Amino acid sequence: MDHLKAVFVEEATDLIGELEKSLLALGQTINSPAIEQVFRVMHTLKGNSAMFGFDAMSECTHQLETVYDLVRTDRMDFSEAILDVTLASVDHLRHLLTDAGLADARLRANHVRLLDQIGALSQLSAPAEIPPEAHPSPVRTGYLVFRPHPAIMVNGSNLLFLLDELHALGDCRVNAHSRHIPPLEELSVETCYIHWDAYLATAASEASIREVFLFVEDVSDLEIHWVSEGNLLVNEQFVAHLEEQYLTGQEVNIKELQAYVNQLLAIIREKTLAQYPGAKEVDPRGQRETGAVSTIRVASDKLDDLMNLVSELLTTQARLNLIAADSAQSELVAVAENIEKISRQLSDSTFSICLVPLESMLTRFQRLVRDLSAELGKEVRFAAEGTDTELDKTLIESLTDPLLHIFRNSIDHGIENPEVRMAGGKPRQGTITLKASYAGNHVLIQIQDDGAGLDQEKIRAKAVSKGLVPAGAVLNEKEVCDLIFQPGFSTAEKVTGVSGRGVGMDVVRRKIADVRGEVSVTSQRYVGTTITLKLPLTISIIDGLLVRIADTHFVIPLAVVDKCYETNHALLTNTFSNLVVLDGQQVPFFYLRTEFDVPENGPAIEQMVVVRHEGRRIGLTVDAIVGEYQAVLKPLGRLYKHLSILSGATILGDGTVALVVDTGQLIRECSPPVLQMAR
Amino acid sequence: MKEEITLSLDSYLSFRLEDETFAVNVGKVLEILEVPHLTKVPRSPEYLRGVINLRGTVLPVIDTRVKFGLSATRFTVDTCVVVLNINVENDKLVIGALVDAVQEVLEIGEDQIKPSPSLGSKYQSEFIRGMVKMEEQFIMLLNIDRVFSTDELTVVKESSGDLTH
Repeated sequence: MDHLKAVFVEEATDLIGELEKSLLALGQTINSPAIEQVFRVMHTLKGNSAMFGFDAMSECTHQLETVYDLVRTDRMDFSEAILDVTLASVDHLRHLLTDAGLADARLRANHVRLLDQIGALSQLSAPAEIPPEAHPSPVRTGYLVFRPHPAIMVNGSNLLFLLDELHALGDCRVNAHSRHIPPLEELSVETCYIHWDAYLATAASEASIREVFLFVEDVSDLEIHWVSEGNLLVNEQFVAHLEEQYLTGQEVNIKELQAYVNQLLAIIREKTLAQYPGAKEVDPRGQRETGAVSTIRVASDKLDDLMNLVSELLTTQARLNLIAADSAQSELVAVAENIEKISRQLSDSTFSICLVPLESMLTRFQRLVRDLSAELGKEVRFAAEGTDTELDKTLIESLTDPLLHIFRNSIDHGIENPEVRMAGGKPRQGTITLKASYAGNHVLIQIQDDGAGLDQEKIRAKAVSKGLVPAGAVLNEKEVCDLIFQPGFSTAEKVTGVSGRGVGMDVVRRKIADVRGEVSVTSQRYVGTTITLKLPLTISIIDGLLVRIADTHFVIPLAVVDKCYETNHALLTNTFSNLVVLDGQQVPFFYLRTEFDVPENGPAIEQMVVVRHEGRRIGLTVDAIVGEYQAVLKPLGRLYKHLSILSGATILGDGTVALVVDTGQLIRECSPPVLQMAR
Repeated sequence: MKEEITLSLDSYLSFRLEDETFAVNVGKVLEILEVPHLTKVPRSPEYLRGVINLRGTVLPVIDTRVKFGLSATRFTVDTCVVVLNINVENDKLVIGALVDAVQEVLEIGEDQIKPSPSLGSKYQSEFIRGMVKMEEQFIMLLNIDRVFSTDELTVVKESSGDLTH
């Protein structure tokens, strides 16, 4: 039972999440599928929670279900008030999952208050109860024979009107049987020689069909035979059969007809089954989910384990390659190559399993934008693009906080009050857009707002007063913008509950740097601000360039490597400007032997790895380039956590450890203080 | 519970630094290695000698001599890495400690341990659990968690800050 309860809690959490999503969608555009969805979720939650003894929850969802039922059946208009109460209830329901018995007094008070509010909502609707509509009966197909008595026309009935009325009841095919019409000289105009038979597919009852012929009841015979469920007249085969039979002019034998129909139905059923296997099992819930990819739930620990095993495999495989390369056995080499191929495929598909679309975190942002803008008296619309962009699961987890922070900043500092916006000729409602896209080996996430933009003067003044830059420093626009990432920087004039306590963007930058990402900001005064996060696709395995300095191996991420050159040792050491001319371009470089405190006596010919850093090309000297290497990133541990120039270590095929360089951070730290100041 | 058991073990591993003998409780020792290939990590403090590959994990190696104010370890055939499992701020941390030589495992009863003299000792008393006299030689029992505690190891304290503000 406890196990089942755990399953319920898990399911309910999902359902509540789904609910929140639909509600937020409703907040943007009111559409009936979303209302239906909310109603269904409420209904499911109600049933399940009652079953597992979550009485408070069942009570709450029951009330809400009533409200949404009214909305659903157009007896009440959907309003902001309903949305607000429902969203509040969503939070409440989450709490109820952990505290089913309302043990917390505050929770209990909240529960009562919410129930009152919901109750008030349903009172709002017109109490006039609409009588429940008679359940429409399903369509059936019938065979009708209408034989008017010869004298029927004497009392002036127009039989064709009757047939028209029959058509109004549903799909209908009428055949006239005129075999009994005599030759013209014998024909009496007042006598009816014709009879009709008709195939009618209708939802109407037999009584209502007979009603059509009510006035001729006495002077005609009417036979009605129901031959099948559903509308047979849409079946081409059946219609063709009817026409064929009509042309033969024979009277329809009802027994034969029934037999034919049964045979036909059997064929149809077989065909449908073949087309949609399992179609019979489809329940209404299943139909709603058609189109969804079939998925299974897996505990994330298991995925982590799998990932670790794959990492181990890659390390071992590198070792195998090394041994195979040294061995003379060609068979071993072949096997090693095969294993390399397979393990690469295995690692690729394992990564793809661990990728999660960005969409999974969207609800939280939507909710934040909605709640916070209301709190601050601003009007903000949230838009998202490219939310199917996928990121490593662990990356998504470590992204949530920084992103939430950026959103808070955008709403608090970026978007202006509606009045200010109107005065500035902007729409009342501000917009925050989340854009995600792939860029090579990276994922770009942009948070764009159409708010006030960064105030360059204010930032500069603030930075000077905080002693972050000297008063007379010459900074370009980009450098000023970058100041917001400095520790201890905050321009909010007053501290709100939301932002402005000075620990903010610097923490964002650090958290993003922790996952080997980069943050940058661009802004235009009065137009808006865009914050861009550049993130690696995965954080545990990177393609790198393996290089050597003295007897230490380093891995430089391949994503940042631009080009490699051979350079002369003397040329590098006898320079004041730390500039080297490569391909006719002056490239600043760092002599890593010096930067890494390795005693100076590098080889006469050194290698220069040119990397891209913030739009510039920067050279890093190394003793030798070993080759490409797929590095499984291992943490260096907490003893080295202050060492930001390395993002981790990896184990080489020969069992030694190579260090993975974070070039961005390395260049930042090695830069002379003047440059650092400008950052 | 398990912790209490390991701490109540009476066995101690003794090792030598320069001319002095120290000992740690065997409950803290995971294994003893010959010095493998050490990868030096640039821009790290002197007492962090580098990292090694311990069956797939990257293990930091601490130069215990530097910790104790001696010159940096010069590798000899006797030099060993003692892999220790230490507790730092409620966190388990596995490190390798370079020692000049590993000697033996001693059985030392709690009653044999004398408090270390607070005067005249060149080591701060918080690092020493006590002293034992064995065959005309004093062995210092180390409070290994304190000796290798994070505060003493990392020079740059991580600035605290959070995103929740």
